[in-house]
Amino acid sequence: MSDPERQFSVPTIPSGRLAGETPPAGGHATNRLPGELMMWILILSELAVFGAGLLAFLAVRLTDPAGFAEAQSQLHRTGAAANTLVLVTSGWLAALACRAAGAGQTRRLRLLLAAAIGFGAVFLILKGSEYADLWAQGIGTETHAFFTFSYLLTGFHAAHVLAGMVLLALVGWLATPRAVETGAAFWHMVDLVWVILFPVVYLI
Amino acid sequence: MTVTSAWLLLVALSAGSTLAAVSGMTGPALALIVLALAWAKAQLILNRYLGLAQAPAIARGFALALALYMAVLATLAAAAG
Repeated sequence: MSDPERQFSVPTIPSGRLAGETPPAGGHATNRLPGELMMWILILSELAVFGAGLLAFLAVRLTDPAGFAEAQSQLHRTGAAANTLVLVTSGWLAALACRAAGAGQTRRLRLLLAAAIGFGAVFLILKGSEYADLWAQGIGTETHAFFTFSYLLTGFHAAHVLAGMVLLALVGWLATPRAVETGAAFWHMVDLVWVILFPVVYLI
Repeated sequence: MTVTSAWLLLVALSAGSTLAAVSGMTGPALALIVLALAWAKAQLILNRYLGLAQAPAIARGFALALALYMAVLATLAAAAG
């Protein structure tokens, strides 16, 4: 009969180094996912949802390429391009916060996360100004299939930005390396989704 | 590569996407260029921000899956003309 303690113990998930950490001397790399496995499952789930949405968007576009191009011209491309810079910069600050957390620099990590949250707010303000402009022109989700998808995809993404800002604030308060890394991983996922969503919805 | 180098490269690639879009290029050529740049940006985020560079085999799997996905996006975009 097996040892009861062993039988009922919760399996531990091997965790790698903190995201962005340099591999040990000698350049030895592992084949473990960095950070929390559950966060990676969440990241993959979110990528699958947004990925399916973008595929559906381009598939529907085949039915009315001219209408989609006309509708796309109503979007704020400059603001969206600026938002790409805003998010990658915010992601950089979050990555630096992970390093600061690993080094025990609590004040620095909180400042970096506060700046990352600030950039998140800038993103939402730019996005909000685009929505306000579209609504002022009477453009809603049912104006054209393009807008149904663009509002859905960018709105869902903006909701993730807002959730990420709350999460960064929470992990900044906790200020442990693992918590900061987990919060930053979510933020990088938001960043990752945007760099794929932006060209599909705004450029091509 | 440090996260700061990765950030600078991300800024440069983002500028490249914007330049391609304002260059007057349209259709499949534009789609191919901006989606390739998006793939490169996604790779940087995965490997440098999310730390997949520490796990090369997993990173290669992500790179392949993402490349296939981007190829499907590019095909759909090109089909629309």
